[in-house]
Amino acid sequence: MNEKTRFMLALITPAALVLILFQVVPILTGADASFRNWTLHDPKRTWVGFANYLHVLRDAEFRDIVLPNTFGFMIATVACSLVLGLAIALMLNNRFPGRWLVQSFVLLPLMVAPVIAAIMIRWMFNDQFGVVNAALEGLGLAPISWLTQRWTTFAVILLTDVWLWTPWFALILLAGLQSLPPEPFEAARIDAASAWRTFRYITLPMLRPVMVVCIVIRAIDAFRTFDIVWTISGGGPARATELFSIYAYVEAFQFLNLARGSAAAVIGAIVIVVFALLLYRVLNRFVEVSK
Amino acid sequence: MADIVLSNVHKVYGHVVAVTDINLAIKDREFVVLVGPSGCGKSTTLRMIAGLEEISAGTIAIGGRVVNHLQPKDRDIAMVFQNYALYRHMSVRDNLAFGLRNRRVPADEIAAAVSRAARILSIEPLLDRRPHQLSGGQQQRVALGRCIVRNPKVFLFDEPLSNLDAQLRAQMRLELKELRLRVPTTSIFVTHDQTEAMTLGDRIVVMKDGVVQQVGTPLELYRKPANRFVASFIGSPSMNFITLRVSADGEHFALACHGWQFRLPARRFPHLGSHVGRSISVGVRPQHVRLGAPVNDDQIALNGAVTVTEQLGDEQLLAVRLGDGEIRIAGADPDLSLPTGTQIEAAIATDHLHFFDELEQI
Repeated sequence: MNEKTRFMLALITPAALVLILFQVVPILTGADASFRNWTLHDPKRTWVGFANYLHVLRDAEFRDIVLPNTFGFMIATVACSLVLGLAIALMLNNRFPGRWLVQSFVLLPLMVAPVIAAIMIRWMFNDQFGVVNAALEGLGLAPISWLTQRWTTFAVILLTDVWLWTPWFALILLAGLQSLPPEPFEAARIDAASAWRTFRYITLPMLRPVMVVCIVIRAIDAFRTFDIVWTISGGGPARATELFSIYAYVEAFQFLNLARGSAAAVIGAIVIVVFALLLYRVLNRFVEVSK
Repeated sequence: MADIVLSNVHKVYGHVVAVTDINLAIKDREFVVLVGPSGCGKSTTLRMIAGLEEISAGTIAIGGRVVNHLQPKDRDIAMVFQNYALYRHMSVRDNLAFGLRNRRVPADEIAAAVSRAARILSIEPLLDRRPHQLSGGQQQRVALGRCIVRNPKVFLFDEPLSNLDAQLRAQMRLELKELRLRVPTTSIFVTHDQTEAMTLGDRIVVMKDGVVQQVGTPLELYRKPANRFVASFIGSPSMNFITLRVSADGEHFALACHGWQFRLPARRFPHLGSHVGRSISVGVRPQHVRLGAPVNDDQIALNGAVTVTEQLGDEQLLAVRLGDGEIRIAGADPDLSLPTGTQIEAAIATDHLHFFDELEQI
């Protein structure tokens, strides 16, 4: 082993050890647990094969609530944040007085911790003391029990996530817009393209690679959302707003069935890996197309 | 009619003056080249004509109509950009058709116009490809196609050949000249390359620091440069300049510097009279210096030692020490063996001498 190799190993070893101890071992332990009968109150640890997986996949809660919730949430939050972020980026890409002030204001949510935002929103939508219901009453409308029904709770969670992530989209898309070459836009001005046709046929296709990268990163991230859902609804009412990560957590740490929780987490991991690979292929195709 | 008239056009960016008081009249179907070094304001001038830059002062008229406040789309112009500015996600066909579709031209007319443009530029087999699948020369043709497909009043070219390699550039120059014959349209071509300017332009506008230095045909600029800058910019290799002191010597003027002096008859060069006792710049093109002794009284002699030779195959370029400076000589026999230090004698016809003071040709 020469000095260069030894130096390289010396640099890699600490990080590799941390990774193995705190990532690889827990994942393997969790995966192992998912194949055993392993509840916290009676940990027999006997090998049960795919029984836990089958239980999770056959669970009506998982199939009819968690799965649609997770994908619905992912699609809705990414779509809404993308559209709003793009609109804000397009606005900020123009010069106008006070642009820097607006830009700073728009980016504020990025600086708020998700849990704090979730607590804030939970209070805003509180049945009795919330500012939203106060505003509704002020307008002469009936107050709504936001966090006691599935779809209104879901909408509040979605709103929170969109509020948190729209600035991220805006920031990256703005950087993308500012890095586009000016000449095609000038050519479009000479070619008599209207603002809409310039956006549709020049801006959007040229921005596509940046947009696709944003979508993939954010979609994967949205898939494993935990904090804001847990803080706003705890997965309720009656487990109606549970996502993958909440479901795994509830199985493991509320129902104290570590094996099922682990099985749910592994299923989630497999789903997101497959989904990410599919998205990655789409990304490659889109980027190829927009060259 | 698509003549272009620029009257007292100024462009200022904050405190930086980009273009100063340009007056220029371009005739219908004339091909005018704006040439000058980087930052001389030539592209800014073109972009003001295109409507891509606001004019700080003055007026621009196209076809008799003042266009100062018209949008680029309403000026009936087409432009080729330095990096072509093709829509990279569209096929060549869509690139050509985009401008017509925006103007709501009927589909059958668009198809006919695209076919015509593709035929003129020989890009018919490329119509379904995307720009990134094309070579630099093919992209250039598509950019030209996007111009001619609309049949505009004016073509504007912003250094369209500068991204091509030397061989392709020479080929595209020829193609541009052929295109002019097939699609005669008023054209303004911006370049920093004097060869492009000389070969393409009916007239050339030489610019420096935002100011027009001279407007003229290629030969006028070559033979009668208005000032030292134009003289040095036009022609390759560029003109030699030697600073000489003028003194009166009976019926002659004597011009001298360290290591070189000659006499010129006062009756043939009366304009030198006002510079007696002062130093002036004498310019001579490398092509106008011939090896060998003077053969008549209209030629002056110079002697010096060869410092460098450059073999070009059909000729040699020589650099010869002359006093404190150096003079370049073109057109030497390529078979001549001239090692460094060789003393040579050369002759210059006095007709080919150019005299400049600080501002202009004397």
